[in-house]
Amino acid sequence: MKKLTHAVLIAWCGWVGHAQAAGDPVPPPPAALQGGRIGYVMTHLFWSIYQSPDSRTDCPKGYNIGPRGQFSALFPPGKPHTLLDSQLAQEAQTWNPSSKADSFAFYEPVGATARGMNLDGRVGPHDFTSPGGERGIDNQLFRALGCIEGFRGPQGVEFVFEDKAIADRRYNRVMLELSGVESLVNDSDVTVTLFRGMDRLLTDATGNKVIPGGSQHIDLRWGRTLIRRMKGKIVNGVLTTEPIRELVIPWMNLDVPTTQIIKDMRLQLKLTPTSAEGMLGGYADVDTFYYQLCRNDSTHHLSNGDISAISLYKSLRRLADAYPDPKTGANTAISSALDARFVQVYINPLTDAEQKQLTALAWSNTGK
Amino acid sequence: MLSFILATLLAPNTEAWVPVPMPPGFRVQSTDSDGPVFADSRGHTLYAWPYKALRNNGAGETKGKPTCYGKVLRQTAGLMSPYPAGIVLPELEKRPACTDLWEPVQAQRNAQAVGKWTILPRTDGTQQWAYDEHPLYTSAKDHNPGDVNGTAPHTFLRPNGEDFSDAPAYRWPVGPPSQVPPGFAVRRVPAGRMLVTDKGWAVYAYNRDSPTRSACDQACARDWLPLLAPQLARAGGEWTLIDRARGQRQWAFRGKPLYSRAADRFFASQEGSDTPGWSNVLVQAAPAPPPGFTIQDTIAGSVVADPNGHTVYVYNCGDDSQDQLSCDHPDDTQVYRIAICGGGDVAACRERWPYVSASPDAKSGSRIWSVMLVDPATGHRAKPGQGDALAVWAYRDRPVYTFALDKRPGDVYGDAVGEWRGERNGFKAMWTRMEMLER
Repeated sequence: MKKLTHAVLIAWCGWVGHAQAAGDPVPPPPAALQGGRIGYVMTHLFWSIYQSPDSRTDCPKGYNIGPRGQFSALFPPGKPHTLLDSQLAQEAQTWNPSSKADSFAFYEPVGATARGMNLDGRVGPHDFTSPGGERGIDNQLFRALGCIEGFRGPQGVEFVFEDKAIADRRYNRVMLELSGVESLVNDSDVTVTLFRGMDRLLTDATGNKVIPGGSQHIDLRWGRTLIRRMKGKIVNGVLTTEPIRELVIPWMNLDVPTTQIIKDMRLQLKLTPTSAEGMLGGYADVDTFYYQLCRNDSTHHLSNGDISAISLYKSLRRLADAYPDPKTGANTAISSALDARFVQVYINPLTDAEQKQLTALAWSNTGK
Repeated sequence: MLSFILATLLAPNTEAWVPVPMPPGFRVQSTDSDGPVFADSRGHTLYAWPYKALRNNGAGETKGKPTCYGKVLRQTAGLMSPYPAGIVLPELEKRPACTDLWEPVQAQRNAQAVGKWTILPRTDGTQQWAYDEHPLYTSAKDHNPGDVNGTAPHTFLRPNGEDFSDAPAYRWPVGPPSQVPPGFAVRRVPAGRMLVTDKGWAVYAYNRDSPTRSACDQACARDWLPLLAPQLARAGGEWTLIDRARGQRQWAFRGKPLYSRAADRFFASQEGSDTPGWSNVLVQAAPAPPPGFTIQDTIAGSVVADPNGHTVYVYNCGDDSQDQLSCDHPDDTQVYRIAICGGGDVAACRERWPYVSASPDAKSGSRIWSVMLVDPATGHRAKPGQGDALAVWAYRDRPVYTFALDKRPGDVYGDAVGEWRGERNGFKAMWTRMEMLER
């Protein structure tokens, strides 16, 4: 058996300091990897948007205009406009979108570089090359989002909202557990289970920085349909999983319980005893992506990020590259990648009955 | 000495209130969903319109200053965003004035203020009754005693009691205080009028308890915290006291000793009711949905669903005029709803957001759920004898819907479709529990 020899947990260090100051005996720290299992809880998730140091390189024509700019252009101030022909007409298009072109130019990133994964194993004419030089990167969602200010970090409204919502709301408490792990450095066969937690994240004294060593209950009450299980391997500290048919990600901000659906989802994460960081790749369901955005944000918040839902929908439909509709032939999903960060967490043990329930749900939801 | 007044014995599921001085001609009226409310001599519910800050300025009334008058407003006020003020409102030829929908409760010249009831002058020379300085109105949508159709259909507030912040400045029913001892309060949640502590924590009862004895022993009481009464507390009405160890006394309501739950993480939680034997305490349960309707689990909580398990939605709409008039009722303009649900196409609307159909002679068992006949071509009420009228279920006198993109029980893809997350011109699921949305 290989043994884990990584550094002790940051959280334990802090705790020891506290205990020693109080003069109490210091118990040994719980190992992050126990019985071949280690848990992680998500602290960050957002669409992978490659940003060069100078945004003018990515988007030489500038960023796309949002709802306010489009409304002013269509309905100039100083002229009389009826609600039906202006505001309601725009909202009608937002909630009943069309792929037909509109009068506004839609800017896309012009470079050949993007982050993501080679989802189809091929190098196609529309594929990108990763910053590390890997060819065949499938990330057409980057093309759609890359020149919209609200999607660009670190201050884009979507970027900010989602991180805040992950930290604040247990609805978004995505966790993963690795089992059958002999080493976090190299292991040819591990099992990865994804589920939702129910508790607040452990933070440092500022309340802003999530730290490892917290604990979470598994949500077997409301989160049953979110559970997935997949096989993977660890090579040089990087976990790579096989793709699963579909992952449902709870993705809420502003109190609207929405999701993302990622088809052919797979993970690529650099593991340590305290963190997991990397990428989640697959094909995002276009309708789910679009309505998640609109339902959470409504036109007001979209305006803050200069995100015209009406124009973005046309772009998503044009760039969608997978899962053609059997009737129309139009693609329903778009290649994408998400940057993901997790910290280690202790997952509260389940009863035998709960464990059986979890296993059954994990395999049935995953489609195996 | 506790100050609350002994309760009148009432039938279970009717909320008791503290009698307050009232002028002649007014009374307290029990309602299905909003507890006891003040009503006029016809039994029509009285409403106040408290000022609410919106995205750009606000709307409603500050204390002592009526602003609802007979002038028909013609343009938007730009109170929300991103759309500017000055846009011409729809269907002006039929647009009502504020007082057409909200009739001021007139006070006669010789009327006398009493208690919190006062009399305010209006700029049109009349006088208006106010309660706690809030001008009072009746709603044109209420027709019978106990109706509360003037209130927004989206009555399902968050468990912490918050209103959705971007909803219109609604008019709310006004009523007497709930009759609870100090240390308790009543909060409206989807399940009904929930008893909570004065801090907002849920109150629970245990089915193994008797009216005079708690079965929750010392170990149990570490998880379920008995709600203890001070020495000065006295039983009265539906409230009694039971003895615990060491001279402690515990509050009981309707014969059930009361507890809070140590593990609760947010106010008015229903999580404890998932523990066998334990339940939240409701002073008045919300009316059950019509026969055949179901409750379905979603990934955020549970929702009302139709007999096929499809999530049921209400449509919310308040316009962007300074009057904040409703546009969510079949008697209101339908252009807002049809823009969202069908892009302006009524047929597409019916397909994408089908009404929940009902048998014309179906009965709900409550006032708040009803069967309504609607004109499928307009969305308005059907005319008497109209042959193609659709019989549909309605909540607070407004039709309810399902969403075509919901395929399976538990899907809630229609929740928050529309302007301002479904709060101003859009659809909201009928949540019965939404605790995964809590922090």
